[in-house]
Amino acid sequence: MNPATWTHQQRVERTIAAIALVVLIIWPAAGWSPYWAHQILIETFLFGIAAASLIFLSAYGGMISLAQTALFGIAGVILGNLATSGGAGGTSKGLHLGWDPTLALVVAIVGTTAIGLIGGAVASRNTGIYFLMITLTYSVIATYTLGQVTKIGGFSGIGGINRYTPGWIGDLLKHPNRLYYIALGTAIVVYVLIRYVVRTPFGVSLQGVRDEPIRMSSLGYAVPLHRTLAFGFAAFLAALAGVLYVWWSGQIAPGNVDLPETISLLIMAVIGGLARIEGAWVGAFAFILMQNYISTSTHIPLVGFGGTLFGGSFNTVIGIIFLVVVIVSPDGLMGLWGRVFESKRETSGGG
Amino acid sequence: MRRHKLRGWKSAAVLAVGVVAVAVWATSSLAASHAATVKIAIMTDCKGAFGFGYELDIGGAQAAFAQYAHGKPTNRAKPSAGMTNISVNGTSVQIVGYGCGNDTVPVAVTETKRLMEKLGADVMVGPLSGDEAVYVANYAKAHPTKTFIIGTAGSEDPTMQIHPANLFRYHGDGAQWNAGVGEIAYKKLGWRKAAIIIDDYSFGWTSGAGMILDFCAVGGNITKRVFPPLNTTDYAPFVRQLPPPGQVDGYFSAVGGTGTSAMLKAYEQAYGALEPSKWIGNLFFGFLGADKTVAPKLVGAYIGGTGTGPGLKTAQAKAYEAVIKKWYGPSKINPADLFVANYYNAGWALVQGLAKSGGQVGAALQAAMPQKLKEGYAVSNGGYATLDSRRQAIQDQYQLQLVKNPDGSVGPTTVAYVPGVDQSFGGLVKPTDPPYGRTVPTCKKVKTPWQGKIKIVKNGVITSAVYK
Repeated sequence: MNPATWTHQQRVERTIAAIALVVLIIWPAAGWSPYWAHQILIETFLFGIAAASLIFLSAYGGMISLAQTALFGIAGVILGNLATSGGAGGTSKGLHLGWDPTLALVVAIVGTTAIGLIGGAVASRNTGIYFLMITLTYSVIATYTLGQVTKIGGFSGIGGINRYTPGWIGDLLKHPNRLYYIALGTAIVVYVLIRYVVRTPFGVSLQGVRDEPIRMSSLGYAVPLHRTLAFGFAAFLAALAGVLYVWWSGQIAPGNVDLPETISLLIMAVIGGLARIEGAWVGAFAFILMQNYISTSTHIPLVGFGGTLFGGSFNTVIGIIFLVVVIVSPDGLMGLWGRVFESKRETSGGG
Repeated sequence: MRRHKLRGWKSAAVLAVGVVAVAVWATSSLAASHAATVKIAIMTDCKGAFGFGYELDIGGAQAAFAQYAHGKPTNRAKPSAGMTNISVNGTSVQIVGYGCGNDTVPVAVTETKRLMEKLGADVMVGPLSGDEAVYVANYAKAHPTKTFIIGTAGSEDPTMQIHPANLFRYHGDGAQWNAGVGEIAYKKLGWRKAAIIIDDYSFGWTSGAGMILDFCAVGGNITKRVFPPLNTTDYAPFVRQLPPPGQVDGYFSAVGGTGTSAMLKAYEQAYGALEPSKWIGNLFFGFLGADKTVAPKLVGAYIGGTGTGPGLKTAQAKAYEAVIKKWYGPSKINPADLFVANYYNAGWALVQGLAKSGGQVGAALQAAMPQKLKEGYAVSNGGYATLDSRRQAIQDQYQLQLVKNPDGSVGPTTVAYVPGVDQSFGGLVKPTDPPYGRTVPTCKKVKTPWQGKIKIVKNGVITSAVYK
């Protein structure tokens, strides 16, 4: 952490990160745009965590998982079923067992992590397209299970979950800034945790498994176990995002874990960049910003065609951006950012 | 090759400009606050199965603003073009945005937050569909200073189980809409045993519940309930779960959207030609495009209603239809369409509420919202629909039959009038009961308030004769 040893890129990035962190910390207290604080930024923090779980598996384990959205939803569904109460004036869907919200929270996170470990164990002997297909299957299973097992919510999902938060957190509906700081804090912890984990012996051997699984196996490393544990860790991260999501939106439904939502998370990760963890939040921010403004903002020069951007079609715009990113910068916006410094180094070297 | 590479700080500058541009664009879109103006949002669907309802919903609500609050349509052929000049007793009213849902909950979350938090609406008129309304009801509970008037959603939960104090519904739920259709099946068609096929979600359950409650109340028996998931494309496995025609007297259907036609086709392949006397459907047999795909196969079949009386010739109905035509005639929206009528009633109720509250919103508006509304197709109770203690409409219902029109088209016509249908079906359903689902309600022979009082409607006129 000696600044003297930092590269130019590291100095710039860490300066930007420090400024961004200060701005984000004072944002709600300063009263700047509550809509941005309580909608765009909270969504960015929590979807960034979910995307980070995907990028962690991809960048350090060589596993592209389509199951992260499903795991995100499973945590929300467990919490919704356990914490809510039914009857007149209560929630109308799910088991609404009325457990203590803290206990429900712990069970939701631990349960989702356990499901992730089981799913990871099943998929751990596969790589590439086969791993992708298995995790896609998890996503489909989750969608149909949540939709058709009506006792745990059904197609309509469970609503009003954010009225049942632990006492030590308090009423997030009356105090949305509290949720903002919880989401921001969790995002920071997740980022630091991933950075820590990838530097531990487990993280280093996981990267070995990513690059040379056969060699690692012949050296005596348990390749499937590494993948299983990584998948379980990513499930834990996705569970945190799922809990934050239901506290933010109040509901969880099969529509939150279906194929379009699964692809949306992948798009966030790809736009941000699959090679660096920071890309998760960059991609989530870009995606959510577009989602919130494309359908409504008008009079955009050149591309507005006299009305909303491409007729207000978010899917069209995000599809074009996705294509451009994949073609121009396969490592996403973070890759583009990195090339700025590579280019500078080359220019300096040649000069 | 070098010229193709991004050049250091130039690229950084481009990125920075992009970020600044996005920030400026975004922040400039944040709505400014107009303290003296009441901000309302119309939440509807512009995508998904009910995307076609977009103009109908907006047209219905805005026709009320034009008629009772000085609103001026920007384009009478296209309601979503907007409306200006709305004011109630001197209080300016601004439509800050139209919601663009797709009948799924996640999009309802985003759109509701956009309308109520980003655009700062004080009042929402909407949403359109059942699951969206369940979400909005939960959202309403968490935001007591905002007021919500459901547009045309038919799920039971928002006003029965959740019933937040700041949410109002001036039309029936899906079960209320079907009140009376079971009795017609029993008395007119002679059904005693029937099976039912229901979309496996909030509105399907609620709509099916109306058929079950009404048919069982008069003495019928539902021998089988089948629940295809929403968005099913192959209905063969579900239709095969239905008893064959020889084992039941008929079938109730609460399958909607594109599924209705596919389900009936699967039935034809499994059990032969459709007999109109053996089928009763909910509104999805005769509205929302089904008049062209489903209805022609079932001319003569009875179908459940929507709280409107197509072809009803009361003075009140004619006056209401004239209002819609006056303001949005060129858009060709049908006044008897449930989307148009229900959003109109919601808009009109809001105008009355604002007039009484003196333009105040929040608790003052909620206290001032009308307890009764002179709806276009209301006849009983002096021509008023009334609200119950959970702010849910007690409303006259009209049951329908598919008939061939003189121009060869097939569509629904009103054949039965069911007065004053309440959400609890005369106390059968309680807020503490579990919501309608796969096993709820059970089949029970009981007395409903309208049993034996369902009047025959002939050529748009309510006769004194009842169904026997």
